[in-house]
Amino acid sequence: MLGGYLGPTAIIAVMLVLAVRGGVLGTIVRASLLLTLPIAISVVLVSVFTRAGTTVLLQIGPFDATLEGVDFAGQTLVRLFAISLSIGLFVLTTDPRALVFDLERRGLSPRAAFVAVATIEAVPTLVERAAVIGESQRARGLDTEGSLRARLRGLLPLVGPVILGSLTDVEERSLALESRAFSRPGRRHLLWSMPDESWQRAVRWALGATLVLAIVARITGRL
Amino acid sequence: MTSLRLEGVGFVYPDGTRALTDVDLAIEPGERVAIVGQNGSGKSTLVRHLNGLLRPTEGRVLHDGEDVAGRRVSALAARVGIVFQNPDRQIFAGKVRDEVAFGPRILGRSAGEAQQAGLDALTAVGLAESIDANPYDLGYSRRKLLALASVLAMGTPVLVLDEPTTGQDARGIARVQQVIADVAATGRTVIAISHDMRFVAETFGRVVAMGAGRVLLDGDPAKVFAEPTWPILASTYLEPTYAARVGARLALGPTPREQDVVDALVRQGAAIDPERTILPD
Repeated sequence: MLGGYLGPTAIIAVMLVLAVRGGVLGTIVRASLLLTLPIAISVVLVSVFTRAGTTVLLQIGPFDATLEGVDFAGQTLVRLFAISLSIGLFVLTTDPRALVFDLERRGLSPRAAFVAVATIEAVPTLVERAAVIGESQRARGLDTEGSLRARLRGLLPLVGPVILGSLTDVEERSLALESRAFSRPGRRHLLWSMPDESWQRAVRWALGATLVLAIVARITGRL
Repeated sequence: MTSLRLEGVGFVYPDGTRALTDVDLAIEPGERVAIVGQNGSGKSTLVRHLNGLLRPTEGRVLHDGEDVAGRRVSALAARVGIVFQNPDRQIFAGKVRDEVAFGPRILGRSAGEAQQAGLDALTAVGLAESIDANPYDLGYSRRKLLALASVLAMGTPVLVLDEPTTGQDARGIARVQQVIADVAATGRTVIAISHDMRFVAETFGRVVAMGAGRVLLDGDPAKVFAEPTWPILASTYLEPTYAARVGARLALGPTPREQDVVDALVRQGAAIDPERTILPD
């Protein structure tokens, strides 16, 4: 029974150690718990009370909570937590620009890289723009602090300039890039290269090999 | 009409950046006040306190002697209208007429009153013929004038302009100057943030120079742009107008117009053909 917990638990332990090293432990645990909570609730309810089993722990009306159901729910939860921790660690410790530039270095098209970077960078810009627009409309008397109805009425004056401004920005940025020969075909030289030490490459290869072995073991029934 | 008073106002942004320190300022109805200073000197932060967009972390802001700490921005906007620097952060309507009517409608005017106020404001800024245009079909300088009209239409006792001459050609600047003069003539207060010292010297009756969140100089242009204050202006990366610098050497006072300088040079026998050096007013 414990076999199903070992793998995910080991992954969780490694992720937590890495999160401590990366200085994101509190953030990642909070985010992972919040992300997995809604799924966890439904998984627990469905698994514990509907999964067939021989060991009945308690009965609530027509539903039996079985030991097998609890075990299945537990295994699912640790897997979910392991997955969310892994994704969270990646998101919190990877500079999106670094990721995209490195992908470009490995052959991703500059256009796709630009779309990815522009999308990532658009978020803080949009937040800043939305804040200024909010101030601007409030200065014209728009009530953004009142009732829900008043706030809904103010939606267009707030959202309109955000969208129009973003479209204008995209157009201007595209023109500026084109004027700097952005779409010129051929190989380009990146001014930045991601630090990549030999031990990091070794870890990546080891992780890749582990993944392949895990899949093979799973398929052949040894895991 | 509304008098404004800032008493010991200090402000620290949530990230810990101090933007204002111990600012005392009283602005009476009908004054034309320019606020100048380097980027980051606290000018924009200061004017955002006037309508409650920002609340002082120290001191207080008073309208007509009343502390506005508990008043909503939407209520204070009826007294202080602010035109922000970038018109594209404000314009949202599909037609110019709807954009200018937005503020008056929010303040509770009827549709007819709002339309009329909008038309009056558009006429004042020279955009009446564009009333049915899409704002985004207008060029930047005209969108900036539209933003000015949309706040002008609200008829607030205090009008605040953030860099109103940026992106404007000489005709646009003259238009802005005329609007300011017209508004002030009705007894309303005009406050403007500007880096354009010529515009400041020619348009405003009072200049407040800021540096590092403090008021460095406060007085009429003749006092603020007088030669002894130049080191203080330099400390906040401002320099007096070319006319002021030359005018000081020609004993024309601290705020001469460029035409005054040309005339003085001609009087002193400079080799200038006055017929070819007439500058626009």
